[in-house]
Amino acid sequence: MIELRDITKSFHNGPTTTEVLKGINLCVEKGEFVAVMGSSGNGKTTLMNILGCMLRASGGSYRLDGADIESLDDDQLSAIRNKKIGFVFQAFNLLEGTSALDNVLLPLVYAEHYPDDAEERATGLLQSVGLGDRVHHKPSELSGGQLQRVAIARALVNEPAIILADEPTGNLDTASSEEVMNIFKRLHAEGKTIILITHDPDDAARAERTVFLRDGKIFHREEVQ
Amino acid sequence: MKTTLMIKVAAGAIGRQKMRTFLVELAMMAGIATLTVIVALTQGADKQITKRIRNFGPDAIMVHSGGGKVRGPSTAAEANLSKKDISDIRNIPGVLLATPIQTELDMPLKHGSKFSTAWVMGVEPAWQRAWHRGARKGTFISAADNEQLSKVCLIGTTTAADLFGGDDPVGSSILINNVSFKVIGILEKRGQSPVGTDFDNLVLIPYTTASRRLMNQPRYAAMVRVIVSDPARAHHIAAEIKGVLRENHHLAATEEDDFRISTAAHVARMVRMSAKTMGTFLWLVAVIAPLVGGIVLMNIMLMAVAARKREIGLRRALGARKGDIVMQFLSESIMLTVIGGFLGIGAGVGIAFYIHHLGKPISLGWQPFAAAFVFCILIGLLFGVYPARKAANLDPVQALNQ
Repeated sequence: MIELRDITKSFHNGPTTTEVLKGINLCVEKGEFVAVMGSSGNGKTTLMNILGCMLRASGGSYRLDGADIESLDDDQLSAIRNKKIGFVFQAFNLLEGTSALDNVLLPLVYAEHYPDDAEERATGLLQSVGLGDRVHHKPSELSGGQLQRVAIARALVNEPAIILADEPTGNLDTASSEEVMNIFKRLHAEGKTIILITHDPDDAARAERTVFLRDGKIFHREEVQ
Repeated sequence: MKTTLMIKVAAGAIGRQKMRTFLVELAMMAGIATLTVIVALTQGADKQITKRIRNFGPDAIMVHSGGGKVRGPSTAAEANLSKKDISDIRNIPGVLLATPIQTELDMPLKHGSKFSTAWVMGVEPAWQRAWHRGARKGTFISAADNEQLSKVCLIGTTTAADLFGGDDPVGSSILINNVSFKVIGILEKRGQSPVGTDFDNLVLIPYTTASRRLMNQPRYAAMVRVIVSDPARAHHIAAEIKGVLRENHHLAATEEDDFRISTAAHVARMVRMSAKTMGTFLWLVAVIAPLVGGIVLMNIMLMAVAARKREIGLRRALGARKGDIVMQFLSESIMLTVIGGFLGIGAGVGIAFYIHHLGKPISLGWQPFAAAFVFCILIGLLFGVYPARKAANLDPVQALNQ
């Protein structure tokens, strides 16, 4: 499903060039739950952005669902982000002053067809993450754990095959983290492909498989130990 | 629905940033109010000018004694149009009638203890047909009045009000330059002349009485009003009159005319010319004022883009194309300008009615509203597109990590 070959990424800042990713090779099969671990500053977020089609690699090839991502234009990448990928961010990134329901509906605004049952679908997703009684609440009226669950509902609303979660528990207390991780487990059981970027070994332990990002390269568990 | 959701989101963004919204609306409101008021005033003035030109009469030609540039009416003192001139004009084909007028401006009038001044005109009965204007009350000056040099007069409504207040003037006597005249009628109301003088502050007396008794000009007429059968040929006939008069007055080719001829077309050109300078200036203000609103909008939208980078990054991550972001910010801009426009129209109409109340002519058609509406959308587009494009071209990763 996801196939990264020799992916490199460099950032130019004036005369200095920083090579953040130095040849990433990673395959994720459909339905897998993979954790990417690494301490901060190791290029986790850069990798996440490349996987999420938000950022183009400097070199190498990225195939997603058979499509050669490097050859697509900006609008096509937008369509892929909308259709195939559900993002969950560390900072939740919900629209202020906008109800949980409207936040969940947001990706559908950019979908090819706005489904007739959009509101029922969004409400159903909010119920499935335990927020059936918070549908019309605004972000300022919700706790951190609730916010992240709204964000997960939003990631799911356009029925993407892949969930990309970047440190989803980074801003949450233990109890909320537990709730969020349980939702990921359930989604995995339902057949979603999940890529979880984290520095928390407990979270990583929920995944089927963990890879490590160090010095811009991927290492598998056996290589690390 | 997708569109309703987009409108909801745009409205939400507008509602959340109240200070920003307030500033843009204030600027747009001032601009559009200015536009509305100016359009109402210009149209009002234009309507008035058209009416004044209509008062002159499209089938009329005025012949004035004395040369030089167009100014007010000629007076008995400078009269040089002979009886032969008039009969020759009458003989030009296409001329329905030509009637002499003897004039003195601002003659002193008195009735009882009330004083006033008015133009006094000596006229023949044909004056009625020449001006399409007769007595609204009483009778007009007759041929017999002219034969007998009667001391009778008709007065305009302004003059009547000045001298008689609410009383009925017909049958009373007034003093014109200390000569007593009997009021036999009141003239129909006419309004303003093309140059803005009051056609209703007027006293008509028999032509002969004016020439021989009051103005001491028995040989020549101050003015002749000519009516033609076909208004389209008025220009042509005016040229013929010019030829006849130059010949009668023995003018050499190098000499200038010692008379002036004006047609409705002349008058219209002259009046519109002076109105146009003012009009151009006002239109400039009308267009610039809303543009200032546009500049405020652009500033505010640029601030909004800077403040909402994270939201833009998020929308891009969720699948918004650059075009979607452009649309979002453009619809916000247009929503802001259109709301401002409606407020401005409201304020403008209020101000226009106030000005009307102060006595200036205004005219409010649908045009100012259509103009304001179209203008608002154009301003929203014109000044919104740069901030919107700036928003769309943000790097989504950097925007999201703000």
